[in-house]
Amino acid sequence: MSVQVVAGKMAEVELKDVPTKDLSPISPKSVEKEGIKTEPSSAVSAAASPTAEPSPNPTKMPQASAMKRPDQQQNGGEAFVNQDGTVAEAPRMKKIQFADQKQEFNKRPSKIGRRSLSRSISQSSTDSYSSDSSDDETSPRDKQQKNSKGSADFCIKNIKQADFGRREIEIAEQEMPALMALRKRAQGEKPLAGAKIVGCTHITAQTAVLMETLAALGAQCRWAACNIYSTQNEVAAALAEGGFSVFAWKGESEDDFWWCIDRCVNLEGWQPNMILDDGGDLTHWIYKKYPNMFKKIKGIVEESVTGVHRLYQLSKAGKLCVPAMNVNDSVTKQKFDNLYCCRESILDGLKRTTDVMFGGKQVVVCGYGEVGKGCSAALKAMGSIVYVTEIDPICALQACMDGFRLVKLSEVIRQVDIVITCTGNKNVVVREYLDRMKNGCIVCNMGHSNTEIDVASLRTPELTWERVRSQVDHVIWPDGKRIVLLAEGRLLNLSCSTVPTFVLSITATTQALALIELYNAPEGRYKQDVYLLPKKMDEYVASLHLPTFDAHLTELTDEQAKYLGLNKNGPFKPNYYRY
Amino acid sequence: MTDSNGDGKLEVKQASKEVKESENVAEKYSAMTVKNTDMNVGELSAAFTAVPTLKSVKKIQFANQEDKQEFSKFPTKAGRRSLSRSISQSSTDSYSSAASYTDSSDDESSPREKNQANTKGNSDFCVKNIKQAEFGRREIEIAEQDMSALMALRKRAQGEKPLAGAKIVGCTHITAQTAVLVETLVALGAQCRWTACNIYSTQNEVAAALAESGVAVFAWKGESEDDFWWCIDRCVNTEGWQANMILDDGGDLTHWVYKKYPNVFKKTQGIVEESVTGVHRLYQLSKAGKLCVPAMNVNDSVTKQKFDNLYCCRESILDGLKRTTDVMFGGKQVVVCGYGEVGKGCCMALKALGAIVCITEIDPICALQGCMDGFRVVKLNEVIRSMDMVITCTGNKNVVSREQLDRMKNGCIVCNMGHSNTEIDVASLRTPELTWERVRSQVDHVIWPDGKRVILLAEGRLLNLSCSTVPSFVLSITATTQALALIELYNAPEGRYKQDVYLLPKKMDEYVASLHLPNFDAHLTELSDEQAKYMGLNKNGPFKPNYYRY
Repeated sequence: MSVQVVAGKMAEVELKDVPTKDLSPISPKSVEKEGIKTEPSSAVSAAASPTAEPSPNPTKMPQASAMKRPDQQQNGGEAFVNQDGTVAEAPRMKKIQFADQKQEFNKRPSKIGRRSLSRSISQSSTDSYSSDSSDDETSPRDKQQKNSKGSADFCIKNIKQADFGRREIEIAEQEMPALMALRKRAQGEKPLAGAKIVGCTHITAQTAVLMETLAALGAQCRWAACNIYSTQNEVAAALAEGGFSVFAWKGESEDDFWWCIDRCVNLEGWQPNMILDDGGDLTHWIYKKYPNMFKKIKGIVEESVTGVHRLYQLSKAGKLCVPAMNVNDSVTKQKFDNLYCCRESILDGLKRTTDVMFGGKQVVVCGYGEVGKGCSAALKAMGSIVYVTEIDPICALQACMDGFRLVKLSEVIRQVDIVITCTGNKNVVVREYLDRMKNGCIVCNMGHSNTEIDVASLRTPELTWERVRSQVDHVIWPDGKRIVLLAEGRLLNLSCSTVPTFVLSITATTQALALIELYNAPEGRYKQDVYLLPKKMDEYVASLHLPTFDAHLTELTDEQAKYLGLNKNGPFKPNYYRY
Repeated sequence: MTDSNGDGKLEVKQASKEVKESENVAEKYSAMTVKNTDMNVGELSAAFTAVPTLKSVKKIQFANQEDKQEFSKFPTKAGRRSLSRSISQSSTDSYSSAASYTDSSDDESSPREKNQANTKGNSDFCVKNIKQAEFGRREIEIAEQDMSALMALRKRAQGEKPLAGAKIVGCTHITAQTAVLVETLVALGAQCRWTACNIYSTQNEVAAALAESGVAVFAWKGESEDDFWWCIDRCVNTEGWQANMILDDGGDLTHWVYKKYPNVFKKTQGIVEESVTGVHRLYQLSKAGKLCVPAMNVNDSVTKQKFDNLYCCRESILDGLKRTTDVMFGGKQVVVCGYGEVGKGCCMALKALGAIVCITEIDPICALQGCMDGFRVVKLNEVIRSMDMVITCTGNKNVVSREQLDRMKNGCIVCNMGHSNTEIDVASLRTPELTWERVRSQVDHVIWPDGKRVILLAEGRLLNLSCSTVPSFVLSITATTQALALIELYNAPEGRYKQDVYLLPKKMDEYVASLHLPNFDAHLTELSDEQAKYMGLNKNGPFKPNYYRY
């Protein structure tokens, strides 16, 4: 990764370097490797020190980030962090899961104003399912397992859970009609016949639907997890039983993680010709270990902001030797991940955590990008009085025209009841502002990672922290003033709300179509560069989801199509159209 | 335009011909309509404004009976709403109070034959009547009040005179708002020669005021085709003065210079083009490799697009419907055809007033947006029987056909917010069995043999231009964008812009927006150094990557 990236990360680390009291073991991986940091830390606190509420939990994060720094430097700025001995501890701990303790992602921000997630958000919805009650502690790597057909080319926790997993997958199929429609429409022509896809994504019921769709379209798949915690073991089992070579279990170690990826790729007599990646780890591994493989690879499909960023870096350096498709920035996915998803989860997250009533409340939303627009619209609809802060004059003007007062945070901070950050920036709400807030003010973050609210500055001796519920802290000033801090400044929508399957369906369908497009593109259409999904494919993703709304799309007549100079089947808009 | 620059061009020509034909039909019919109903002079003149020989008809203007123009030249292929000229002029119509005193002068001699000089003795201009300068000055001063962004720009930049040495030749609607722009350019150091891009839109008194202040203006209301080109030629072809910047609206000036004075391009630093048509022409030229100077497409700047389409239409749909029909919106069933920027604006406004809105769409992405915004996506045929209002904003043709008009319920209101007059198949309603009744200006009842009435607004032309107004604030956005584009092109270091068509740099776009923020008493937050570094941004912008969708 680039130097800039590292710089950004270092800043984050410094920020979090505050005095810590509790040194309970925590995986550096949990912070660095991806997002799941909240989960292990909460699990640890629940298991190791169940009584030590409020303080230990928050202090662990800084500890972990401090630990990751040396690794990072050793690595010469690489994003990959060597394993630390403590990692192995984490998976073995018995985990107590709270329904509302979702993980989030704090890897690195993209430079643009959009909301950035180092991995896709897919995983967050999986947590509620994960069944960790099996007391089996031997590593899956040491076990010999076979599915009912006698195949042993997989490595998962427990093949016997396949039935449970199958049920999960069937439920997910119900909620992903678009992918099922694609399967139905295209399985006759098998557009992926001959494709050998190696994938590295969250392994969840939704992913399983995607994989089985790919298989139905003719592809062979080998799969690993892109996150050491997000795997649903029973789904992995069901996939293995169904004949997929899956290498993943919940709670892998760093070493396990790379071992799984390697097992996916490194196989006699089988060479992948497509890569589906989420986070860029798989691509990186092949690039480092098996560069020859790229000769046969027709394309990479990458879903996450981080992965896309890495690809652009590679491309800039002239080192990208196959075409890559950036599905993260497709119109449909962007709108759903940001605008529509956040519009609902801001209300849901606030209600679940605080039971606040919105009518007449004064709210300030920092940032008026897609996320800010969603939050503002939802809150306005509930009767709140919404103020907006913004740095970009164009977005600022949009806010004005949408009927929101554009203010500076310092002008309204004394009077507002709720402060919501969605800027993607850091230190938007600083200690000085927190000091001036009124009693009972709710502070939360919808934007990026945990940088937006300067939570570290609240860890001073004169302030008392009181954990009133999971994800809800009261910070009490010496004069008795309380501030309600949600999810310790981490992403509210991932920590205290859920991601609907419908959104995941959009992502999965986009991935499937990107694979089909890259695989079937005539020689020469895609060079060694990073491409956005063609508009026509983007439109197709949208059209597959319209039946869910019982929406009836109008068709152009021949005459109309000619008049507009369009093809009747799209694309309907020029590339620069803004939607 | 030029002979044939390839297939695309031919297509273009055909399309525009088609449109022209259909327009002619409409014009003919509207003339008939006038005859069939109670005639009044105002309407007559309105119907015949297109014919220059009737200029002598004395015009009586009613506040709501103005001959608005609209634009039917050529649609872009994009799904966006297309106007062959910018919408600037429509706002002038609301000012046609001004036109009334202009036109009361019985002076019928062509301005070309008159010898006029302003108070400083300068006679390098050609306007209707230089004596109207004072009226015009008042109009300009009123416009200045509404265009605080341009005034702010004038104030901020007149010290450094970023346009010192610029010789700008312009061809736009000549209205009070344009005058504010021209005088701003002058204040920033430029010399300007100006002509009208439309033979009817000129406000004579404003032209006079500009001439009086020393700007060489060649324009009057009601030019003939010949006058039009003569004016452009007079602008460009002067001894001892050669333009080095072009500000165009519609591409006619560029075309003229390209054809007649190709040498001028050697000294030209750039073209700024505002309209969809003009931009389209430039892209054609560029594709054919014939564009020899950099050109700036200001039509597609974010701010301008949002204001021309989303925000402007969001208000004018309600205004236009109220003014013409006094309809109550609550609980009414409305179908909006097309969910682009215009459609989004219309739906939002109608929903806010309690109407039950459903939409039709051809583009699945926009359709999905419609779903997520809470509108039913239907086909027009499915709902046409139960609708109280049908609004078209597709940019397409024949979206509402005779068959659908036949099936509408009694009292259904049909209007067009989209493009030209192609969207509703009005021609199909000109059949003997249907009776047309003009109940108000811009409002026709079409009566079926069984007594069913359909209320057709503005004969299917653009409702927002025909029955509503364009606020100065929107024009201010456009004018500020143009001024900044000129400054950018003029001051760009050698080599930044090649011989191609460029979009306005994001930073300039952001600057336009920021100049308009004080109107809302909006307080923009500034990045701290630390935050700017974290985001990898410059503190002064640009704040977003180019592909950001807003």
